[in-house]
Amino acid sequence: MSAEQLLSSVPESDTVIVADLEAGIGTLTRLPEASVDSTLVIVEPTPRSIDVGQRAVLVATERKQGHITIVANKVATHEDEERIRTAFGEHPVVTVPLDPVVVAADRQGASPVDVDPNALAISAIGGLVPVLIETTDT
Amino acid sequence: MKIAVVGKGGSGKTSVSGVLARSFARSGHNVIGLDCDTNPNLGLSLGVGDLETERLLSLRDQIDEGEQQHAHTWDDILDAYGTDAPDGVRLTVVNRIDNPEPD
Repeated sequence: MSAEQLLSSVPESDTVIVADLEAGIGTLTRLPEASVDSTLVIVEPTPRSIDVGQRAVLVATERKQGHITIVANKVATHEDEERIRTAFGEHPVVTVPLDPVVVAADRQGASPVDVDPNALAISAIGGLVPVLIETTDT
Repeated sequence: MKIAVVGKGGSGKTSVSGVLARSFARSGHNVIGLDCDTNPNLGLSLGVGDLETERLLSLRDQIDEGEQQHAHTWDDILDAYGTDAPDGVRLTVVNRIDNPEPD
């Protein structure tokens, strides 16, 4: 069963399913309409990442993949954040700071939550929970 | 609630997915992490470690090579090809492709 078949056929329930799709927009283009309640578009402040993110927003909008939230990830400066906010216009943007804890976790093959649960990036990502609950009709 | 996480390779998509899944679980939700990436590393970001992540990938490889039968229902997939991650998150790896499409 492919990722697209699986995601579109999972029964609605109280369970939260977080689907980490393939890099780029391949799975998103193949996903049947309205398969998910919410699409999180992760963007780092580089031109190529912003470009892929903008294409993901177009596809997710066209195919009705729920509420779209932009995550401005690895943000180091005010300019980084503004570049992403400007690129995504009216879409809500949640900012996650560039955090050495995430880099260290990546190197260790560990979860950032287990490296330092109080890290700034962890708090910022945790802040998505009420946002997603509020914007999703379940 | 079904949440799709997308982005360019290297954007931090998998780290955000792992931390988000753990955050939902810590706030009292039942959570399933679904690794649909062609380079599946969600297990690491969820904190199941190298060995368990590799074990799940091997299971997927066996399916692709016909050594294991495909599971046909959602519950079968979770049972057969899933593992328990910290904070009660259930992780399942959906696919593994050796030649992923470019970004």
